[in-house]
Amino acid sequence: MDDDRIERLLKGYSLPAVSPDLDQRVLSEGAAILGRARTRAMVEEVGRSLLQGLGFGYLAWAFDLVTTTDADYRVEFI
Amino acid sequence: MREGVGTSYGCSRTSGRPVPRDTELIAGMIRGESGAFADLYQKYRARLHQYALSLIRSRLEAEDVVHDVFIGLAKQASGGRMPRELSAYLYVSVRNRCVDRMRRKPELPLDDVDLDVIVAPPGDEERIELRRLLNRALLALPAEQAEVVVLRTWHDLEFAAIAGMQRTSVNTALSRYQYGLAKLRKELGVHGR
Repeated sequence: MDDDRIERLLKGYSLPAVSPDLDQRVLSEGAAILGRARTRAMVEEVGRSLLQGLGFGYLAWAFDLVTTTDADYRVEFI
Repeated sequence: MREGVGTSYGCSRTSGRPVPRDTELIAGMIRGESGAFADLYQKYRARLHQYALSLIRSRLEAEDVVHDVFIGLAKQASGGRMPRELSAYLYVSVRNRCVDRMRRKPELPLDDVDLDVIVAPPGDEERIELRRLLNRALLALPAEQAEVVVLRTWHDLEFAAIAGMQRTSVNTALSRYQYGLAKLRKELGVHGR
């Protein structure tokens, strides 16, 4: 048997089945994680709109500025 | 408009329509769409599961590894972060987790290992007959050779990608593949094939 023949033979096999239990575990936990993230994003959006409506839009702007700017730590030798 | 849970990507509904590209699925996951996550899982689960099985040689542990990798990915997406090269990230994550688990437990003797890394298609008498022999021969290969044979044969990964995962040269990955095939061939030859 040459290399080509054994490669063809091997490629004809398929992958073993994944258990439905694993599918269920991964999909339900994953959906819950993404669902919580979506809810959090929606609450943030509502809070932002509310602040904007009440005339405190600068608070949301300041919050974004703080959370999206990388902190810069420095050690100065005297 | 945001899409809700299972609105368009249901795992069981993927047949009969093209699966979106990784970049689209990643974007969907970052938007919190569980359907995108289901599609991504559906796309990679069988391959990653077989890869984990071939490395760790335990059905339960392989399932745990696949579970942890996908849940880790969902957590990253929920924080708005995702890997740039998704396929490479998934394979490397599975490999690292398997290696980590293998360090913590003694290797089982081959006689105690009972699992199928490959499955013969129904009706294919030749492959059905050789399945047990090939499964055993695959598991008996040195780990790095078995890994290259599995990734090259059933996952269509390039030798360069496999070499990157094994942190070796392309030539070494190629040699491992050839040595692995030669041993499988020899094993079949011994049994009169």
